[in-house]
Amino acid sequence: MPENHSATEENNPSPVTSSRMWITWLRIGLNSFGGGVSTLTLIRRAMVEDLKWVSEEQFTRYWIMVQLAPGINLIALAILIGKKTGGSKGIGIALAGLLLPSVAITILFTYSYTSIRSIWWVTGALRGLSPAIVGIGLMTGMQMARPLILASRKEGLGSLIFNTMILVGSGLAMVNGKLSPAFIVLICAVAGMMGALIRGRITDSAGGSRT
Amino acid sequence: MIHLRFFLIFLKGSFLSFGGMGNLPILHADLVPLHFATDRQFAEALMIGQISPGPAGLWAISLGFMVDGFTGALLATAAITIPPLLIIYVQRLYRKLEHILAVEGFIRGMGLGVVGVFVVVIARLLQNGSSSWLNCFILVSAWGMLKARAPIPLILALAGIAGIVILQR
Repeated sequence: MPENHSATEENNPSPVTSSRMWITWLRIGLNSFGGGVSTLTLIRRAMVEDLKWVSEEQFTRYWIMVQLAPGINLIALAILIGKKTGGSKGIGIALAGLLLPSVAITILFTYSYTSIRSIWWVTGALRGLSPAIVGIGLMTGMQMARPLILASRKEGLGSLIFNTMILVGSGLAMVNGKLSPAFIVLICAVAGMMGALIRGRITDSAGGSRT
Repeated sequence: MIHLRFFLIFLKGSFLSFGGMGNLPILHADLVPLHFATDRQFAEALMIGQISPGPAGLWAISLGFMVDGFTGALLATAAITIPPLLIIYVQRLYRKLEHILAVEGFIRGMGLGVVGVFVVVIARLLQNGSSSWLNCFILVSAWGMLKARAPIPLILALAGIAGIVILQR
């Protein structure tokens, strides 16, 4: 009943209803053409700016947290927001709403792609798209590594060199091709943990005078 | 039981990786040597994931469709939806552990390892295609445009037009 008042009270969150959750998540799943960047932008705009179901600080905290869950970060983010807004039911609505349209369109694209790929202009366009995707992927890789390297630099030169070695080492191990990717990542994680512990001990024994 | 095998491969890839494309190296290592998928299919699936709505990580669904039809797409969907559910436990642990040094180091090392592996795999996708200075030009342009925060659909559209105009000749 009080639903219509929300428009006039600008700073109050809109009331959380199942139908509004459905509409919001379905709209995000349908409109976010262009992969993860546009999906994240649309989720934030809807949840933080329009509906105010999640505060700005909370959204940022969620975003850091989902980096630690396995798999697709944006799906974990939808799970967290769904849980906050509607418990288990909210998780179900968030996942179904986000994924039903986007998965259907992804399958449709793949299906129609396999039947039109022999047309000459499609072949030409795809040949141009392939290096662009590699460029975007390399950029994404750099963006993922950037906050990690910056955090290392704050801790001093030793930490920066050590963490850069982990990054370069994993790349070289992959080029070498003898270890499985999952194993390389595990070694890097253990190395990072040991590096942090050693750094902590050095800092302690030096009474905090060294970094 | 080939369906189950595909499902387990996709599930493993998603469980053992962070982010939407972190599963790429694992899927590549498990599917290509067994001839279940080709490098070209990986490149095409990644591209469809970038264009279509939703997380770019949905590229795995496109790959699932190429490998095993609708069944493959649905199994891939289930496989990429289950692992992120662990975020609920991560959330519970997060407040207790976020300031512990060892945990911080473990997470950071893991993130760096993922990026190092990822960059090599994605660079290989190009190596297997035709490599020319035009390819390099498109690659660097796309990279620069993304850095300048251009919308991804625009970058892809321009790359596609460049492909039709230049590479077709």
